[in-house]
Amino acid sequence: MSLLKKINEMSDSRRSRKAWFGAVCVVFLTLIIIPSIFVVFRLFTDWSSVDGVIADGATMGVIKGALFNSFSIAFIVTVIDVIVGIPMAWLLVRKHFQGKRYLDTLMDMPLAFPTAVLGISVVMFWGAPEGIDIPGLGLNLSPYAMLILLHTIFTYPYMVRSLSAILEQIEPNYETAAMTLSASRFTAVRTITLPLFRAGLVTGFILCFARSLSETGGTYIALKMMGVQSTFFTGPTFINDAKSLLGPDSAMGPMILISVLMIVLAIALLVAARLMMVRLKIPTSRVWPQFGRRLSRGTVPKIKDALSIAFLLVIVLIPSFYIFAFLTQPVAAVDYGALLSSIGLSFLVAGAAVVFDIVFGIPMALYIARNRRTVLGKMLDEAVNVPLIIPTTALGFSLALFWGMFYSGDSTAVFTAMVILGHISFTYPLVVRNIIGAVEEADASYEEVAMTLGAKPFQAFSKVLVPIIKSSIIAGAILSFTRSLGETGATTSISGAVKTVPVYIMDLVNKDSYAEAAMCSIILIVICFILIFAVRMIINRGERHA
Amino acid sequence: MKIRMENVSMKFGDFYAAKDINISISKGEYLTILGPSGCGKTTLIKMISGILRPTEGCIFVDGEDVTDTHLEDRDTGYVFQNIALFPNMTVSDNVGYSPRVRDMTKDETASVSEEYLKLVKMLDRAGAIPKELSGGEQQKVAIARALASGSKLLMLDEPLSALDARVRVELRYDMRRLVKKLGITVLHVTHDQEEAMSVSDRIILMRAGRIVEIGTPLDMYRNPGSIFAAYFIGETNLLECTVSGKTKTGKTVVRLRGGQMVRAAKSVLTEGDAAVISVRPENVYAAKEGLKAEVTEVVFMGTYRRVRTVAETNDYLEYNISSDDEIPKIGDKVHLVFNKKATMVFPRPEKGLKEAIELE
Ligand SMILES: Nc1ncnc2c1ncn2[C@@H]1O[C@H](COP(=O)(O)OP(=O)(O)O)[C@@H](O)[C@H]1O
Ligand SMILES: [Mg+2]
Repeated sequence: MSLLKKINEMSDSRRSRKAWFGAVCVVFLTLIIIPSIFVVFRLFTDWSSVDGVIADGATMGVIKGALFNSFSIAFIVTVIDVIVGIPMAWLLVRKHFQGKRYLDTLMDMPLAFPTAVLGISVVMFWGAPEGIDIPGLGLNLSPYAMLILLHTIFTYPYMVRSLSAILEQIEPNYETAAMTLSASRFTAVRTITLPLFRAGLVTGFILCFARSLSETGGTYIALKMMGVQSTFFTGPTFINDAKSLLGPDSAMGPMILISVLMIVLAIALLVAARLMMVRLKIPTSRVWPQFGRRLSRGTVPKIKDALSIAFLLVIVLIPSFYIFAFLTQPVAAVDYGALLSSIGLSFLVAGAAVVFDIVFGIPMALYIARNRRTVLGKMLDEAVNVPLIIPTTALGFSLALFWGMFYSGDSTAVFTAMVILGHISFTYPLVVRNIIGAVEEADASYEEVAMTLGAKPFQAFSKVLVPIIKSSIIAGAILSFTRSLGETGATTSISGAVKTVPVYIMDLVNKDSYAEAAMCSIILIVICFILIFAVRMIINRGERHA
Repeated sequence: MKIRMENVSMKFGDFYAAKDINISISKGEYLTILGPSGCGKTTLIKMISGILRPTEGCIFVDGEDVTDTHLEDRDTGYVFQNIALFPNMTVSDNVGYSPRVRDMTKDETASVSEEYLKLVKMLDRAGAIPKELSGGEQQKVAIARALASGSKLLMLDEPLSALDARVRVELRYDMRRLVKKLGITVLHVTHDQEEAMSVSDRIILMRAGRIVEIGTPLDMYRNPGSIFAAYFIGETNLLECTVSGKTKTGKTVVRLRGGQMVRAAKSVLTEGDAAVISVRPENVYAAKEGLKAEVTEVVFMGTYRRVRTVAETNDYLEYNISSDDEIPKIGDKVHLVFNKKATMVFPRPEKGLKEAIELE
């Protein structure tokens, strides 16, 4: 009997379906959730080492400063994203104009850049880092301001995408209806569309906030290039650097403490944001008709659109691509062997994580989408978000502590496996969330019809449902893959021995080999774009044939 | 309010959704815009209300050119086909939306909202949110919301098509009564000819972006100006024929495909012209002699029965019998005669009959 046939037969039995779903839950719990928050248990078992840190004013000061930097930067960046993201989402969803397709593509580009690369590029563009001959704007920005500029770049696309997704579902007739009732466009948007927007706003807020909070590689590189890496910290860069700063033994306490604080604060924020979504009221009782009309007509909307595009260009795109300026320089020597093997390793990690995400993510997404009302469904729905919101560096550190209980050797293969597990943790929610959305939109009756026609449950699933949700699976997979490819913090905090490509680039920057780091970045970006382009081609071709 | 449209067209890309529209509508008139789906009805009222700007021509309201007036200054009530009540507001906030965005005080807004909810008899649901209401209730609220703007011009886009049959019939008379009381000019889009006939002062019949005919329901039913109008408004039998002459009183005599002679109403056609006659089922009777036909089906319609036949000319012919009459059996041979005054004669369309009654 072939494997496929066997699966078909097995899927017919309720018991085997239950067993499979049970296995998925167990995997989710033991490989993803528990390792991610294990550090919280360590806080209690290892209280003695933490106790010492709390008493130590100097270290506490650094920890508090790092936490303040992380959370306040994340907050400011997210607020900026909301302010500039709303008009951009409007432009992409509601307006029709030439070149919109290009704008749409440009939008996602920063997502394909590993943040480590963005770190180099952004500092080059805005500042005048020592050791780089290419002229930038030469602004003398504080590290804080520089990080805001940097973090805006890779959070902005998330915000615009979440907002567009919701806006697409809001009936455009609502605004038109409001306008037939004498509301200006501005008033219509403020009183009707924005309140309907809340859910998307909160999702975007959480995504961007979590993303900014997690970011390690680019942040560290930016600080290093500005020469402040050992005086200015964010939570993740502190964890990243604590061992070399304080020595491996005395670093343990501060690392546990800051990780736990970040995890707890982040989860508390997630909960608060959820509650806010229900409570948040956009004040709409007063309107100012004349003022609204003035804002809705003539030059104001045009200026708004122009500013949105200018923001995308000046703050997001140009600084991202500025690293290509290195191509004007004599080509730097690159250790191709080391670079290619690090790229290979990155692809291995990302690929393995994505395959795992898909295999174990689809059943989870199906269950959550179809059992929203049940207690288990709700709990899983929330639990899936947890690794998404936890700063990845803390997550990696936690995971390393967890698996460190079972393994104390130094085999790079084992460390690589642990890194893969770490990457699974923070990419798994991306895949699951994407598929949940698609399954909820797909009508369950298709599958039921297929089954009344004699299909086995697995056949109904693979022949009927999968084709419907295919594009979301692919979108989730691409998102996860690029996210994994760009991740630094989780990797370094699990093991310093696993040199994925962002880690490799970070090492080069650490050695002040900027030109080589830039060259490696360029090669990496080109490979990424070719890859994304190829995937799109294959998907498009597949769709045309279908 | 009076409305006048002069040579108005709306082009999407290369495609005219509405072309060469010329109409004038008087104050307080209840007009329906009737036509098959996709013929440009919605486009027409969207242009009048300012949601779409026509690509050609001008629109006048009370003599003033409003072609370039912004939507929010048009002051035209509009009820969307999908109703589009604001889901984030209660029924009373929906109705009070227009007063509120005109910066009326809270009290004024509340009293306007109450007044119009009372008019549509929905005051007891004032605190509900839209999705708790039935389709008919939502429609009433949508109308109240549009009227609460104080506008004297109301566009209704297929307001009843999503409702249950009984609600639909009740609501259409309620609607007419209400707007007549308020003296509002109404353009009511529908694809249901029965609805159009029962509520309108005049009907605008559209097809493929153009106005085919404008007239009162009775006129359009009795004296349609085209085969399309005869076919789309009410039901009719269409038979191809040739004019063979006129009677002394001026009635037209035509020869059917099988050579049978039939007398029909007056017409401008002359001997030898290719023609089509249109006769409604209620003007066809079974008699002792006349056009031979074979019964293929008898359908119970409530107050009457519809008999379907194939005539000896190979045309399909339908007629009505009273529910009490003896029911013909399938295969029975009958003789049919037409009420000649009600048998209209049209020139046979060059591209054929089928094209003339096609809906697109
Ligand atoms: N915004 C638009 N862009 C392109 N074509 C449109 C647009 N709106 C309507 N149309 C086309 O114009 C025609 C008339 O549409 P509409 O006025 O909605 O018809 P109706 O309301 O009579 O069903 C249709 O063929 C429709 O596809
Ligand atoms: Mg329509």
